[in-house]
Amino acid sequence: MTALVRLRLAGFLRTGRALAPLLAGLVALGTLYGGGRAQPAEAYGVSAVVLFPVLAWQTKILLDVEPDVQRRLAQVSVGVAGERVAGLLAAGLAALATVAVALVFPWLVGGVTGPVDPGDRSVPVGLALGLFAHLLVVPAAVALGALASRASVGGAGYGVAVLALGGVGAVVLGLSGSVAPWLAPPIMATARTVAGDAAALTLLGLSVWALAWSAAVVGGYLWRRRAQG
Amino acid sequence: MRLENVWLRYHRRGPWVLRGVDVRIGPGEVAVVLGRNGVGKSTLLQVAAGVLRPGRGRVTDRPVRVGWVPERFPSDQPFTVARYLTGMARVAGLGRAAADDAVATWTDRLGLARFRAVRLPELSKGTAQKVGLAQAMLRPPGLLVLDEPWEGLDAATRDLVPELIDEVLAGDGAVLVSDHRGETVRLPGARRWTVADGSLTEETPSADEAVAVVEVAVPAARVASTVARLRADGHQILRVRPDPSTATPEVGSAAPPVRPAAATPEVGSAAPPVRPAAATPEVGSAAPPVRPAAERATEQPGGTDAAGEPATVEPAAGEAR
Repeated sequence: MTALVRLRLAGFLRTGRALAPLLAGLVALGTLYGGGRAQPAEAYGVSAVVLFPVLAWQTKILLDVEPDVQRRLAQVSVGVAGERVAGLLAAGLAALATVAVALVFPWLVGGVTGPVDPGDRSVPVGLALGLFAHLLVVPAAVALGALASRASVGGAGYGVAVLALGGVGAVVLGLSGSVAPWLAPPIMATARTVAGDAAALTLLGLSVWALAWSAAVVGGYLWRRRAQG
Repeated sequence: MRLENVWLRYHRRGPWVLRGVDVRIGPGEVAVVLGRNGVGKSTLLQVAAGVLRPGRGRVTDRPVRVGWVPERFPSDQPFTVARYLTGMARVAGLGRAAADDAVATWTDRLGLARFRAVRLPELSKGTAQKVGLAQAMLRPPGLLVLDEPWEGLDAATRDLVPELIDEVLAGDGAVLVSDHRGETVRLPGARRWTVADGSLTEETPSADEAVAVVEVAVPAARVASTVARLRADGHQILRVRPDPSTATPEVGSAAPPVRPAAATPEVGSAAPPVRPAAATPEVGSAAPPVRPAAERATEQPGGTDAAGEPATVEPAAGEAR
């Protein structure tokens, strides 16, 4: 299993296709932090929202880089479940690496600042909330990217449609006053919460929501894979 | 391993590719899957290997370690041969040292040693196919599934395939091979499964294993297509001669040349041939008489000849064992 995760990550990194989502992420973050300095928690909340479609796209690329026959060869070696889990794990690790870049990036470009006003949070607390917001996005983005992968949807057009729908839906359905916020992962709600009072119970609720949404979408991915053979 | 009433189709409303296939293969057995293009040979093999899941029915007692050699090796991957094989050995559960040993062994045996540092997309089709063979053998499989393993291979490696199969059989493994070119004559002890119309039939060898040799004359321009067709029908092509007047064999095999006039049969102990003079055409008036001319084909017992094929001849009394 570990060997297969390593092989898939190596395949992803060696093709150079890893660069596209990373560059897109950096451009998005550059735009985000170009507007001036913000408090870490607030900035990271928005950064996580921006990264959601980027990480989903990255996951789709990682899963699509492997030829179909190679995926079947892996399946023969490690079994159906092992192959699925290895793909999701590899995508999760790649997403964590991108998250690490996103967490460091604003400090390099001066996009965030320490406490200015008396009520501002300390830097460690801001960082912790930012980490939370990003980690909450990872499973949801990996799940959406997997659902949009070629092995799941077949044609490339459907994959892009799933990605676009998921990315836009997460923002639109996540706006305050949304009629069906639970249809989307709580990335917008998380951004609002970490910028606001960040009550522990609310954060716990958001975690459960994000995990439940991710589990449901991963379930859809596994069902599609089963149907695709 | 057993396939129990296996049905498979690729799309929900698509046609069934396999319809109620029921077959069993045990340790130390090899089966050749025959059939024309597109009848579902690869599908059957992928079900056996565990790559495809049957829509109905099930596969039971599949060995834990399966080696699958796909029809086309996926060479569009950003690895060198050595890196890829080492990675696959690790995926198959070998430790670092064991993986390195296995890769060294199999790259040497398959003549891949000088390609170890070459990237997969740069390999020729045949060399990529060897990488496909190597990855299946890195860890001795309990079930080896070979999909057209002879395609694109050079002569030396083609000869190696039966050797690999024997090694798997010697280790109490089972082997499934598909073949539409008749190369499986290299596997004399194999069971023969024919796939047609979604179902599988096993050719049961007749009690006396009688084999007859038939000589067929074809226009020189149609030699290649005739040979291919006869092989696809499960016949063994012993050799092809250019002209009856010159007895020099063009396509060699274990069989010695035939003198055109006398056509003395000399195809080895397993196949008592038919003398042309005594041969009786089986397929009625449409079949031209058998002559001591260009081509000799052996009819396998229980072969799948279509009526009207000129190459079909029954051994005359006293000629077959």
